[in-house]
Amino acid sequence: MTMQRMPVQDRTRFLERRELKATRALSLVGLVLLWELLARIGWVPRLFLPAPSDVVSEAVEMVVSGELFIHLGSSLVRLALGFAIGALAGIGVGVAVGFFSLAEAVGTPVIAATFPIPKIALLPLLILWLGIGEPSKVAVIALGVFFPMAINTFTGVRHADPLLVKAAVSFGAGRWSVIRKVMLPSALPMIFAGLKLGAGTALLLLVAAEMIAVESGVGFLILHASNLMATTKLMVGIVVLSLLGVLSHWFLNWMERAVIPWRHT
Amino acid sequence: MRRLIAVALVAVLAGVSGTAGAQEKKVKVGVLKLTSSAPIFVGVEKGFFKAVGVEPELVFFQAAAPIATALAAGQIEVGATGLTAALYNIVLQGEKLWIVADKGREWPGYPLVGILVQRELWDQGLRSVKDLKGKRIGITTLGSTFHFHLGNILEKEGLKLADVKVVPLQTMPSTVEALKGKQVDAIMVPQPFPGAAEAQGFGKILAWAGDLYPWQIATVFYSKGFAADRERAVNFMKGYVRASRYYHDAVLVRKGGLPIPGSNYDEVVQITAKYTGAKPEIIKIGFPYQDRDGRLLVQDIDKQMKWWVGHGFMKSVIPLKEIVDTSYIEAAIQAVKE
Repeated sequence: MTMQRMPVQDRTRFLERRELKATRALSLVGLVLLWELLARIGWVPRLFLPAPSDVVSEAVEMVVSGELFIHLGSSLVRLALGFAIGALAGIGVGVAVGFFSLAEAVGTPVIAATFPIPKIALLPLLILWLGIGEPSKVAVIALGVFFPMAINTFTGVRHADPLLVKAAVSFGAGRWSVIRKVMLPSALPMIFAGLKLGAGTALLLLVAAEMIAVESGVGFLILHASNLMATTKLMVGIVVLSLLGVLSHWFLNWMERAVIPWRHT
Repeated sequence: MRRLIAVALVAVLAGVSGTAGAQEKKVKVGVLKLTSSAPIFVGVEKGFFKAVGVEPELVFFQAAAPIATALAAGQIEVGATGLTAALYNIVLQGEKLWIVADKGREWPGYPLVGILVQRELWDQGLRSVKDLKGKRIGITTLGSTFHFHLGNILEKEGLKLADVKVVPLQTMPSTVEALKGKQVDAIMVPQPFPGAAEAQGFGKILAWAGDLYPWQIATVFYSKGFAADRERAVNFMKGYVRASRYYHDAVLVRKGGLPIPGSNYDEVVQITAKYTGAKPEIIKIGFPYQDRDGRLLVQDIDKQMKWWVGHGFMKSVIPLKEIVDTSYIEAAIQAVKE
């Protein structure tokens, strides 16, 4: 007797998550189209919500005149400096606190006490200490990046597999060798998570910092356009900020893959 | 969108409350708590507006530009404040509003906005606008009346805006604080700030800006809807003309360069002090000049727009007949007898 084939329905199919790539793209395009339509038929005054087409042509104009690059340039310098200082200091402190018990005893309570302070609240104080020039802007970004970096690095170092550490030591590795070759690499995923958190904070603080006494920058562009009621320019600034956010995320993801090839995320 | 929501709200409110009719006469007027708003305060306090059947409801703002924005958004019907690049840009982007009357000029001999310098720089011999070259000058925002005024003063002295470093500090108090903390070398702020800074000793008044460059700094402007309601709009002006004359005769009359306080001088000082929250002694330092009948310097509006366009703050000049309408004030001047 031949076995009768019983087609079995996969009852977990509803759990399957389809990709729906086209829908993803359409949702964004649809939103922009709806927005354009609303502006075109005049339901919403253009002054309050400029049409996307106007925003694009304004952006093109600003690119041609070079205005956009001036703002973008000075913002990127502030971001890069603040981010680099904050990230390096954060990693350094995180490793020290995670490895040396004296550093942990000194550092943990200090970090716990200062971490919850909203960094924007420190801006006026930083201006008093460092003046209204560039240093206070870079400092506030660096501070914002420092904390997630320090905490994540510390956690990453702490969670290094003790077996790996012991193996390294039994093969004759010294203290520095263990930090460099075992602890740091195993903390890398956590460090990258910290970098991503820091990138978001950095953008937020950049805009806040650029709203006081600067001549250029994306935050300045937004505030200045709102002072002049140039709403189309204001929208260009907001779009540039959102692009900066997306690009920094992509860049960090790419770097993560390059630096941690053994862990594809 | 905001307008739609506002309309919906009004409809709902009118549906549930029968008293909405009584509120109809109220006119929302956006003003700043500054000495330069005195004619409006006088009109409200002396009942000049009520006498012609309009009841103003004062809405206080922190800066001039948001008043124009609120007007365009339909939240207020009348604005009475400085002319900023924002106001012109609103009209340029298709939201109509009408500049209808004078509400204060920068005028020689009438202190309004002062150029304040750090005490130490003054002691080191900084005495003229030319000496400001290369200095950091704090103002509230770019595109503000102060920015316009500073640029024109510098240009009159043969300098350019680019010869100084303009530092926008957002609010008037923070601008004063920046001078105090030596973050900037000089600032431009309106009375009573310059007087107070000199009294405290950290600043020195280099000059009153109106002595260096007179212009039509502040005006009364109407929203499109209010301007269309011709009768109410003219009535509001009738009250305003009476208030303006009262204000003028009380505090602005001069003979041989010296102020001659009118019979109602103290009353106007008291009213201004009450609404601005400043001490009467500080109010007495000076009132800004304005035309006795509230007539505008119409050509100056055109000059202002040309300057903003020339410095990249506006895209093009708006034809005067699309932004200025003097017919309301003229009708009111005819109607209000001395």
